Amino acid sequence: MFTIFKNEWKAFLRNKLFLFFSVFFISLLIVTTYFGIIQNNQQIQNQKSAQEHMRKQWEEMGPYNAHSAAHFGTYAFKPNSILSNLDEGVNAVTGIVLRLEGHKQNDVAFSEASQSIFVSQFGKFKISLLFQFIIPLLLIFFSFNIYTSEITSGRLKLLIVQGNSFSKIIFAKIMTLLSFAALLFIISILFQLLFNYNQIGWEQIFRLSIFLIAYLLYYLIIISFTVLVSLIFKNNTSALSLTLICWFLWTIFLPKTIGSFTENLTTQPSRFSLQNSMDEDRAKGIDGHNPEDKRIKDLEAKVLEEYNVDSLSQLPINFYGILLQADEEYGNKVWDKHYGKLYSNLIEQKKHYQLSGIINPFASLQSLSMAASGTDLIHHLDFLNKAEIYRRGFIKALNHEYTYGDFKIDGGNLSSSDFFKSINDFNYIELSIQKNIFKYFTDILFLILWTIILLLIIHNKTKKYLINE
Amino acid sequence: MIHLKNITKSFNNKIALNNLNLKINSGEIYGLLGANGAGKSTTINLLLGFTKADNGEIKMIDSNDESKIEKDRIGYIPENVNLYPYLSGIENLDYFSKIANLNFSKKQLEDTLVNCGLEKDSTQKLISDYSKGMRQKVGIAIAYAKNAKIYLLDEPASGLDPYSSNELSLILKKLKDQGSTILMASHDIFRVRETCDKIGILKSGVLVKEMYSKDVTSKQLEKLYLDFMKN
Repeated sequence: MFTIFKNEWKAFLRNKLFLFFSVFFISLLIVTTYFGIIQNNQQIQNQKSAQEHMRKQWEEMGPYNAHSAAHFGTYAFKPNSILSNLDEGVNAVTGIVLRLEGHKQNDVAFSEASQSIFVSQFGKFKISLLFQFIIPLLLIFFSFNIYTSEITSGRLKLLIVQGNSFSKIIFAKIMTLLSFAALLFIISILFQLLFNYNQIGWEQIFRLSIFLIAYLLYYLIIISFTVLVSLIFKNNTSALSLTLICWFLWTIFLPKTIGSFTENLTTQPSRFSLQNSMDEDRAKGIDGHNPEDKRIKDLEAKVLEEYNVDSLSQLPINFYGILLQADEEYGNKVWDKHYGKLYSNLIEQKKHYQLSGIINPFASLQSLSMAASGTDLIHHLDFLNKAEIYRRGFIKALNHEYTYGDFKIDGGNLSSSDFFKSINDFNYIELSIQKNIFKYFTDILFLILWTIILLLIIHNKTKKYLINE
Repeated sequence: MIHLKNITKSFNNKIALNNLNLKINSGEIYGLLGANGAGKSTTINLLLGFTKADNGEIKMIDSNDESKIEKDRIGYIPENVNLYPYLSGIENLDYFSKIANLNFSKKQLEDTLVNCGLEKDSTQKLISDYSKGMRQKVGIAIAYAKNAKIYLLDEPASGLDPYSSNELSLILKKLKDQGSTILMASHDIFRVRETCDKIGILKSGVLVKEMYSKDVTSKQLEKLYLDFMKN
């Protein structure tokens, strides 16, 4: 089998058109990877600058009202990992910056604008576009005739007469094409690592391994499927047409159709109706800024009783701080109720979508590709959850200061700059894929199943070469 | 020795071979004449194991020790020996030998090609620059390199110029003299008469006539063949 494999590579290397095409494609991969790295590093730098700027504002904050500081707020930046330029995933849609402030939870915003011109015209040009769409297409064009060309040239008989099994010949050819795909893929990854080698840890190696395995399995599926179709139809035109139709179904039609279907299975409220429901529930709680609210009166009575005083002016603390925190906590419950359901629905939708891998291996590939790059929905929701936990702690600290602060500065409830300096920044620690790999079990399972089934069918069909006409 | 006994083969209810009985001794060249669809290629495919007979028995025996000749001792030369165009003659021979688990030195490979009628200078040229006759010679060299006991040739002279065709005859006779059993399916009455020891005429899967070539002239054979084709 190795001799055939070596000979196929010799054929590749002596084919000028193939060489030209490969050099062109490898250059394209390297250029795309390079620009992706530059863009990613630029984004990391921008985030760092923005974070430093925010920090400086807090560090330089003079005597200031802690509640006003809660309104001033801060930002949580979804950090770009060194792998996120391999597959941008949901980041392009969801954005990467989250404003954190008192009283309300915001949506992530500000996706990068650097490629907006390209987006409007061609879609975003990322390395994943080449990995997921162009390489498979190349593989289809290289593999649709590997069987038929040997049949029509009569070489297949010569090879079998030399003592090779039909099966061995076909598998050697499949492996040659897979090694070609692997070469293209590994060159890009090595180039990626070359620029970021100092940031590679076990987690990144694990992620890259998943990335590599997922893509190689998918490429093996694409090659095997194309070869199988040509084995069945024994005709170049039919094999190419049918495989291209399947490629179109897998990569374009089914993801959209199944995506819409899974959205219908677990319907999400519109932004407007979600906001309305939240506003309704929010109205049932305490309005920290409305002194006429009955619930405020109740809370006031409770606090006065607790401190055994008759009026707010006699309290050794700032009652409004307690009030604002109570309002905040109620708001958090409302958010948990609505967004908790929203998030669990999103996870359900993702799980349903992952099941589509049984008919569409591309869905499993996409899921694993985004997961390994840290840009899928699960990673995004993890960021949102951790940012919200930080926001709650951040606002609670400010409200606590506003309530119990030792206000020695003239001019009202003003906290010292030392207090503001003591507030820590949001420091997002990315989800560990090693600990969450079970969430991608179906994706891995379906890719393996597709591979095994296709290879078994090919093995069965090539057990013996028989002429039946 | 090749022995086909009462072989019947049909494809989609259409009979390709009907009770075919054929015996080719070691050191003998057998020419199978017949029109397109007469069953010549089916006979070769049966011997190569690419198709299975519905009935009958096939024996391929080494006359020296009466042992069964295995598939790896069968050489096959099709009408068009489509080798790898990006490899030279010597590289093609090396590749086909290696996949048969045979390793030869460059000198041995070159000698084999020259023995099979190829000019020494041509062995290094790419197959894409070879004529059909030169490719046929490499095809024979591939079989020769694995020490084939049986050579099966399907229309080997088709499209060859008279000189190359004659060269082919000479090479086959050389192989015959070394004790090989050769079956050659062809349309070319003259070439079969010149090359083969024994001739069979196949019509619609039936072996209608068998003769020794020494017993007929080319003219007589042509008349005989045409008569059978007409009736």
